[in-house]
Amino acid sequence: MTATDIAPPVDESTVVLPAVKEPTRWRPNTRGWAIRIAVIAALVIVLGVRLATLGGLWADHISQAVIFAIIGLSLNVILGYTGQVSLGHHAFVGLAAFVAAHHITERAGCLPEEGCQYAPMGGFAVAVGLAILSGIIASGLLGIVALRIKGLYLALITLTYGFFAVNSIFEIPSLTRGGAGMPAPRPKLLITDHRFMVFCLAALAVCLFIDWRFLASRIGRAVLAVKNSEAVAASYAVNVTAYKLMAFMLSGAFAGLAGALFAYRRQIVVSNDFRFESALLWVLMVVVGGLGKRTGVVIGSMFFALFPYLIDLVTPLSDFLANLDRDPEEFTLVIGPALALITMIISPGGIAEQIRPITNWLAGNRFTMHPDGGSHHKPSLLAKLRNRSAPAAEESS
Amino acid sequence: MAVLEVRDMSIRFGGLQALENVSIDVPEWEIVGLIGPNGAGKTTLFNCIMGLYSPNSGKVAYRDHDISLLPTHRKVALGIGRTFQNIGLVKELTVLENYLLAQHARIGYGPFSGMFGMPNTWFAERRARASAMEVLDFLGLAHLAHSRLGGLPYGTLKLIEIGSVLATDPDVILLDEPSSGMGPDEAHSFGEQLLKLRQTLNLTVLMIEHHVPLVTAVCDYVYCMNFGQILTHGKPAEVASHPEVVAAYLGGEIEVDHPKEVEDATS
Repeated sequence: MTATDIAPPVDESTVVLPAVKEPTRWRPNTRGWAIRIAVIAALVIVLGVRLATLGGLWADHISQAVIFAIIGLSLNVILGYTGQVSLGHHAFVGLAAFVAAHHITERAGCLPEEGCQYAPMGGFAVAVGLAILSGIIASGLLGIVALRIKGLYLALITLTYGFFAVNSIFEIPSLTRGGAGMPAPRPKLLITDHRFMVFCLAALAVCLFIDWRFLASRIGRAVLAVKNSEAVAASYAVNVTAYKLMAFMLSGAFAGLAGALFAYRRQIVVSNDFRFESALLWVLMVVVGGLGKRTGVVIGSMFFALFPYLIDLVTPLSDFLANLDRDPEEFTLVIGPALALITMIISPGGIAEQIRPITNWLAGNRFTMHPDGGSHHKPSLLAKLRNRSAPAAEESS
Repeated sequence: MAVLEVRDMSIRFGGLQALENVSIDVPEWEIVGLIGPNGAGKTTLFNCIMGLYSPNSGKVAYRDHDISLLPTHRKVALGIGRTFQNIGLVKELTVLENYLLAQHARIGYGPFSGMFGMPNTWFAERRARASAMEVLDFLGLAHLAHSRLGGLPYGTLKLIEIGSVLATDPDVILLDEPSSGMGPDEAHSFGEQLLKLRQTLNLTVLMIEHHVPLVTAVCDYVYCMNFGQILTHGKPAEVASHPEVVAAYLGGEIEVDHPKEVEDATS
């Protein structure tokens, strides 16, 4: 065959390709669906009732866990989706927290020392918006740096960025009120810890939805392609610069929201809350949760946040720590690195990998470790062999 | 009219002149081959055309429009597809997801509607999945749609990559050693597939290829490069028997003072 005996180009309109169906997926039968829906409903009801009847103290703990989960999702965008390392996330969260607190007290004029108990609702909404914006800007600046610098050097830059923020921005008295801290009163609607917890949970739900659609849409695919190889991504018409910045800005938006919630949970923001240790712990909780897997990240982050309070429930452990004259919170910095080490050696996929059979099953797949839920039919070995040696099989039969 | 024109492309990496005044024409509906020994600058030329490298001098024109300064992703969106020597696919994604990625420019909804899950994005994704399945079926790969890339053989990956370039809706495709890793039989059937592709999709092809029987069977015109220059160009059979080309491949005496037309040597 040579090139010359080829017919001239065919008119495009005459080429009609038949519609092709995707390979069939495995799906549970009616009984399987019924059991799954029953289990999910039971989980939702039990959790809902438990959360609804929670006392004020534990509601506050859950709020902190939810804030950690949002921070985890924020870091997950950088660590899991762009494949870079951020060791300066305490700067983003801290900056946003101060911006939120500053707006309520100084701009919206709700000064606790002047007897202001409740923040105005409008001021609160604007404060949260400004906090998110500050997170986007701070993280976007880091994204611009990340356009030129990658890997270890970028990690180093985020580290210095964090230290720089702590030692410069967090020292501005008009923003942070020095060591005394900047008050951040809540609006009347969210004044109880329980209501605030519900607000935090709603914020987490929004973040999870955005994160889900981000990864499932062309945006997330482009970001994953850039992580894999910039040259290949560009060859698929992906604007590498824009998508890198977009990922960093999404991470900043989540960090900003978490910062605002952080401020209103304690109702006062002190610069001492945002130290390098917290940034390190946040990176560890994302690694333990499972890089790039939002379910695992949320569970890992919540575990790290609740760990000190869970220790208190175990009397022998809390007694042991009390004898050592140590805070349960300090113990997190001991157990966290140990967990991260175990994760990296034994199961790099983290908690997400460990619970994958359960999440697969709940999502309507088989109870399996397979990343795609094992839901797509694979040709059996026999079918494969038959396919390969089709002429020979015909002869023998 | 040439679909793709490269004029006097030169690039220098430190002391190495990787390309020197390379000019290539890729006319409409032709399969143009680019051969030459390792290190001749073939892949460098591809990278310069696509804008992954910025050449020191030279122009690239696509259908008479100068696109030398466009960024890579804009060139791809215009309709110039490109494959890589060592497989340009995203390993973390399934075959189908790679084909969705390839349709990035075509899907075209904004980042915010994507992140907030607007209804139009769901429909766009569904349409993209259907077109991805079309391309997969066209190449006879539909059964692999949900496979991860990890377990697939190299030759299959090469074919999948060509499919993913087709999913970018190209007008001209640049193939970087498409038959590497294929046996003679596979290479032959690949050649037939390429001709079929060109016939049904009206593609224009520029391809780097070492497999000489494939080049002679498929290509309409061949350029041979060595040491960053065009050694000679002409019809496949003429170039393959050209003494300088044989010398370049077998390592004989090489005299490349100035590029010669093939016609001079044969007549």
